[in-house]
Amino acid sequence: MTPPELRDLISDALALWQVPGKVRVVEGRVALAAPDGTPLSVHAAEPADRPIRWWLERPGQRRPCTSVLGLLRGLRNAVGAGEGEARRARVALPEA
Amino acid sequence: MSPIAAPEGRLPVCVVTGFLGAGKTTLLKRVLRDPRFADSAVIVNEFGEVPLDHDLIAASEDMLISVSTGCLCCVVRSDLTETLLDLARRRAAAEVPAYARVVIETSGLADPAPILHALMADERVAAGHRLQSVATLVDAATGAAVLERHPEAQRQVMLADRLLLTKTDLAPVPATLETALAALNPAAPRRVAAHGEVDPEWLFAPGSLPAFLEANARHTEGVASIVLEREAPIPALALTLWLQGLVEHCGPRLLRLKGLVALAEAPEKPVALHAVQHLLHPLEWLDAWPGTDRHSRIVLIGEGIPRHLPARLLAAIEAEVRDS
Repeated sequence: MTPPELRDLISDALALWQVPGKVRVVEGRVALAAPDGTPLSVHAAEPADRPIRWWLERPGQRRPCTSVLGLLRGLRNAVGAGEGEARRARVALPEA
Repeated sequence: MSPIAAPEGRLPVCVVTGFLGAGKTTLLKRVLRDPRFADSAVIVNEFGEVPLDHDLIAASEDMLISVSTGCLCCVVRSDLTETLLDLARRRAAAEVPAYARVVIETSGLADPAPILHALMADERVAAGHRLQSVATLVDAATGAAVLERHPEAQRQVMLADRLLLTKTDLAPVPATLETALAALNPAAPRRVAAHGEVDPEWLFAPGSLPAFLEANARHTEGVASIVLEREAPIPALALTLWLQGLVEHCGPRLLRLKGLVALAEAPEKPVALHAVQHLLHPLEWLDAWPGTDRHSRIVLIGEGIPRHLPARLLAAIEAEVRDS
């Protein structure tokens, strides 16, 4: 996912959570501010960091995320939008 | 046997809803006189209000379960889930006639979602029952004003598989009502019924997934139907994670989701998706695609869901799954 694609996804997520804010791409990172003004930054991890795929950063804190869903969960918490409804889904393949 | 008998041995459940005075009872009385549908068990929730469970208990003395022929008449003292299970048990024990379907008439003030939840969430119920259709009646004379003022009525329309306009003998269907219905649920086929006359086959037939999926994205105040299409088959893991992500973040704002999906692991058979709010119905594998078009099509109806979010989320998840 490119930084602009990540920016668009995060913008949609903020709108869904009804959190106001402007999301921008700055030097390859996605930057935004939490409603309390805390600056947040998201960027892709290096391949050598696997299984970490994303870093969610705020001043003095760096949170690793292993998936985009984990990133959204962390971001939702960081912007104070509460927790979602964690559910398990299962797609069972047809019997051969 | 009825032309819409239960597939796979599970009893079809047909929900008939509509706002107060829309003519639900009148319609059902007429429809169930049809010999083809006389073998129906009817649950009438006269006083039901959200949440359903509480209301059914509170209204137990007024909730009637009957087979339309009058062969069965009893009072039920439990909630909808227990009612269905108890009825099925009595059917199996030949204590009641072997009805071929269950028809639930909701209260005029009911949000149908909790009823659909009750049908989908309880494994015991789902093992023996199958949600077949959701028909919503709309009064042609008062419908436009009711839809404007009452969110319950809007949700009844949004969650419908089909819409039936009633009392058209009293008033023609106004353009404002047509517009409102098209905005809230563009996919649902509509018919007109005067004096409660409608073809029961149409009323109780299984919901048409292709028709639902043919809807174009429409937007109204806060409510949108969002169409997501994919040419390439989707990995099962990506679909799983996407569904989890949608449910987690959209929660009750996801009103309904339906889809036909080609999975990368078994693209020759489509899998049908059904979800109401946060509840995902067990996925159903169809024997074959309904036509030559084999690309994945998913339609979501939601309140306040950004229109590109589902596609962007799926693309991001797919990329991760393919890269893992």
